[in-house]
Amino acid sequence: MARLMDLGLEKLRNMVLDMAELSENTVSTAIDAYVQGKDLRERIYNWSEELRMLQDEVSELAVEIIARYQPVASDLRFVKSCMEVAYGFSRFGRYAHDISDVFGIFGDLSTCDKTAIERVGSQAKEMIRLSIKAFTERNVEMASKLPKMDDVVDDAYLDFVKRSATSPDSDTKCMISGTLILRYLERIADHATYVGESVAYIVSGERAARK
Amino acid sequence: MDKELKAENTKPILISRPVEPLKIQTDKLNAWFGNNHVLKDVSLRIKENHVTAIIGPSGCGKSTLIRCMNRMHELVPQAKVSGAVLLDDANVYAKGVDPVSVRRKIGMVFQKPNPFPTMSVYDNVAAGLKLNGERDHARLDRAVKRSLDLAFLWEEVKHELDKSGSSLSGGQQQRLCIARALAVEPEVLLMDEPCSALDPIATAKIEELITNLKDQYTVVIVTHNMQQAARVSDYTAFLYLGQLIEYGETTNLFENPTEELTERYLTGKFG
Amino acid sequence: MESLQGNWRNSRVRTSTPSWRRFKDRIAFSLGFLCVTLAMIPLASILFEVVRNGATALSVQFLTGTPALVTLPTGNAALAGGIAVSIEGTLVLMGLTAVIAVPIGLLAGVYLAEFGDNRFGRSIRFLNDVLSEFPSIVIGILVYSILVVGLRVGFSAFAGGVALSIIMLPIVTRTTEESIKLVPRSVRDAAMALGIRKWRATISVVLSTARSGVVTGALLSIARISGESAPLLLTIGTSSYFFSGLNQQVDALPVRIFLLSSENYVSGAQQQGWGAALILIVLVLCLNLAVRIATRGKYGAVRSRI
Repeated sequence: MARLMDLGLEKLRNMVLDMAELSENTVSTAIDAYVQGKDLRERIYNWSEELRMLQDEVSELAVEIIARYQPVASDLRFVKSCMEVAYGFSRFGRYAHDISDVFGIFGDLSTCDKTAIERVGSQAKEMIRLSIKAFTERNVEMASKLPKMDDVVDDAYLDFVKRSATSPDSDTKCMISGTLILRYLERIADHATYVGESVAYIVSGERAARK
Repeated sequence: MDKELKAENTKPILISRPVEPLKIQTDKLNAWFGNNHVLKDVSLRIKENHVTAIIGPSGCGKSTLIRCMNRMHELVPQAKVSGAVLLDDANVYAKGVDPVSVRRKIGMVFQKPNPFPTMSVYDNVAAGLKLNGERDHARLDRAVKRSLDLAFLWEEVKHELDKSGSSLSGGQQQRLCIARALAVEPEVLLMDEPCSALDPIATAKIEELITNLKDQYTVVIVTHNMQQAARVSDYTAFLYLGQLIEYGETTNLFENPTEELTERYLTGKFG
Repeated sequence: MESLQGNWRNSRVRTSTPSWRRFKDRIAFSLGFLCVTLAMIPLASILFEVVRNGATALSVQFLTGTPALVTLPTGNAALAGGIAVSIEGTLVLMGLTAVIAVPIGLLAGVYLAEFGDNRFGRSIRFLNDVLSEFPSIVIGILVYSILVVGLRVGFSAFAGGVALSIIMLPIVTRTTEESIKLVPRSVRDAAMALGIRKWRATISVVLSTARSGVVTGALLSIARISGESAPLLLTIGTSSYFFSGLNQQVDALPVRIFLLSSENYVSGAQQQGWGAALILIVLVLCLNLAVRIATRGKYGAVRSRI
């Protein structure tokens, strides 16, 4: 039996999936641009703005569905999660923009060591990919891998900060820019973890305790 | 449907919470109409001074369940009951218990507004007291005013107490019936789909009234309107084919039902 | 869905043209109208004859006087006086019958409606229906042989009242039962849910809700027995004097009509017969009007007090 609400839910899902694709693209473009030393600020900025607008649209549609159909149980959880996930995706865009902005602040960073960022960057990209896949497939098991991956990112970030603070001969520009970017990647990883938690909430109704 | 689910449906899901006094408990309640087994081992604990909603598809036994609580079920020819209903720990089905005294403690409001058609507004409200022998006019007057006040009807009818009860609008009639039930000062108010014949505004009034009543009464409401259950109740029980499938706090049940059947009923994916 | 639509299309093809349908409609309407007119003819002609012949008999003396036979100068006997005795007798009999039959019929009806859903109730209901179909002359004979002759009560108002009561009882019982059954379940449920005892609920709520139906039944049955003549011929005797006791013979309009119209030798008798018939019809008409007035507005207008 097709319910009227299903039309709305399907539309909501498609919008969120569009956002997922765009946000994944935005983040990886930003990371790659940094690693390759390219200035793609404008493009990334446009994408992040688009994500922000899409998030507004998702919220509006979610509110409309609530007002029209009063969803309950799994429907309600799905609508609520879509709003949260859309917020996460728009944050991805925002942090991608911040990453690309580092280039604007510091200019050429080709002399810096980018191995840590490359490593954490690919981890963050993997987390985004995984969180989106878990959301698309409502796969709790897949989502449950995210917190561990997040720990790795957190550790790498702290490690970099500590190392920068204790090694006397490090280049200040490289140190600060690296810290900033790792900080943004760490935030991205957090939001990817939240998306994973939303998946668990949709499927089983369980809410993870926020740290 | 879902055989594997059904097997475990009979046990109630209790809420682990600081102990609140229970007003009504049904214990392995079974009910029949002739050979039709309409309630199967329903064990439900209803908390005092809360609103409990009973939801479920038509014919699931929700009306029968509350009609068993005040022993109205047995008025239907061929109806049978087994099990226990405890009102403050006393079994209303115990030997020697007069069903009339049970009904005085557990009032009831019906699906269709049913004021006594030949009686005035005043007499409708006073009927329960008068017909049980109350003759003191001052006391009757007080009871009528108090009940009409509780039912949010006093202001609307105070100048028309002499008018026929059936000359009121549908929503007013239903509130008159609520006042009539309250006039005999019951401890529990059972409501059998009280808004199903009313328009949204009249419904909203009754819902507001229900939430108001729980300070003084324990309310059990049967409704086929899930949104209504979500709006007015503190606890919700889901009944399906005569079995209690799930019982819990309303917010939990509507946001995160534990049983697959509840989920499918709430989201309208039944059948 | 598709097959439904298919059928609908087929039947549409078969339907006749509008003008043929309009013609059939007119035929049906005219037939119905004709039948109604035919049914009205006897009623209208009776009313016309009774009023035409009876009106000339009407006078103050006719309505207030006692029967008196006078001898005309020609030597023939003629009827003077009036039928006041008969009118009074009929009213007494109606009252007596109502006093006997209404309480019994009412309670029987309540019983059948509230507790009669068993074998006993069903047999009572069956016997009641049989009784209501009984020829009234048979009831007259019965009362005559048991009461008038058997128990030596003699021709009397009482015997007449009993005979009429037996005719009235099944009607009151039936109409009471039917009108109580018309009281919606919900009204009963509401009373029971208030913790009112069943007998109290039945009397104060159910019966009072059914009141207009019960009153209608009672009044209509009184109208029905007011025209009975056969059982009275065998029970009340005849009298030219005003009512003097239940054990005395009385007169009644139907009996008087019978006597007057079968009288061929006394002049004026037939005319008085027509007059008496007119009075009886007016009486029945008044009772019917009373029913209309008593039950006007159905629920609500008739307000009960507890």
